[in-house]
Amino acid sequence: MKIVDLITKDIITLELSSSTKQDVIQELAELLKSDDRISDLDKFVEEVNKREALGSTGVGYGVAIPHAKTKYVKRPSLVFGRTNEGFDYDSLDGKETDLFFMIAAPEGGENLHLRTLAKLSRGLMDETFREELRNAKTKEALIHTLSQIDKEEEK
Amino acid sequence: MKLIVGVTSCPTGIAHTYMAAESIEKAAKKAGAKAKVETNGSIGVENKLSDKDIEEAVAVIVAADARVKMKRFDGKPLIEVSVSEAIKNSKKLVEDALDGKFKTYEHK
Repeated sequence: MKIVDLITKDIITLELSSSTKQDVIQELAELLKSDDRISDLDKFVEEVNKREALGSTGVGYGVAIPHAKTKYVKRPSLVFGRTNEGFDYDSLDGKETDLFFMIAAPEGGENLHLRTLAKLSRGLMDETFREELRNAKTKEALIHTLSQIDKEEEK
Repeated sequence: MKLIVGVTSCPTGIAHTYMAAESIEKAAKKAGAKAKVETNGSIGVENKLSDKDIEEAVAVIVAADARVKMKRFDGKPLIEVSVSEAIKNSKKLVEDALDGKFKTYEHK
C-alpha cells in the first residue's frame, strides 16, 4: 500500500485553525468525517483521546501523531494538518508542535496500511523530511514529499 | 563495530514502536556503532533478534510500554525505558550502552 492510498488532498489542511490539543484532534477528525472515512465522529475522537491518556502522541520534534485503531474507521486514513504557529500539545520534549498526522486504522482485516504507517513513523524521525513537510507550499507538494516514504526499504 | 540490540513496543503498535526503533538505529549510526532493533508492533514482531544477535551485542535497550520477552536477555547489560524515552533520548541511551553503563539483567 502506498501513502497516496491513505491520504488525499481532501484530508490535508495546511493552515489549521486550532491552537489547542483538544481542538486540533477535533478539527482533524472532522476532516475524516466529512470525507466519509469514519462512521462516528464523537466515538472516534473518544478513542483518540483514550490513546492520548496512555501517553501523549506529541513525540517531540514538532510532530504529533494522534491515532486510533477502532471499528469506527471505515478505511485506513492519514490526515495531515499544519500550522505556522506551533502550539502546546503536551509533547515529550516540551516544545511546541506544528506538524500533525492523525492516523485512523480500522480493526482487523488487512494490515498493509500498518506497514506504510510504520515507514512514515520512521521517516518522521528524519529532520530533512520534517523540514520538507514544513516547507511544502501546496497540498500536491506535500503529498509528493510524503511519497518519498514509499521508496524507503522495508526493515 | 559494536552492536546494540533493542526491542520496542507501544500500546497501539502503529507509530511509537517504529519511531523509537528508528531513533535508536540513527543514534547508534551516529555514534559509529550498529543497532538492531526488534519492533513489536501491531504488524507483529519484525526484525526479530536472533540468539546470535543477542550474544554479540554489547548492550540491550528495551523501550517498551507493552510486555516483551525478557528471558533471552538474562546476563546482558540492559536498560528498560518507556518507548517515549527512546524517541526523545536515544543519543544518551546509545552512549550509555556503548560506555557500559547498564546493569546486568537477571531474569526472575
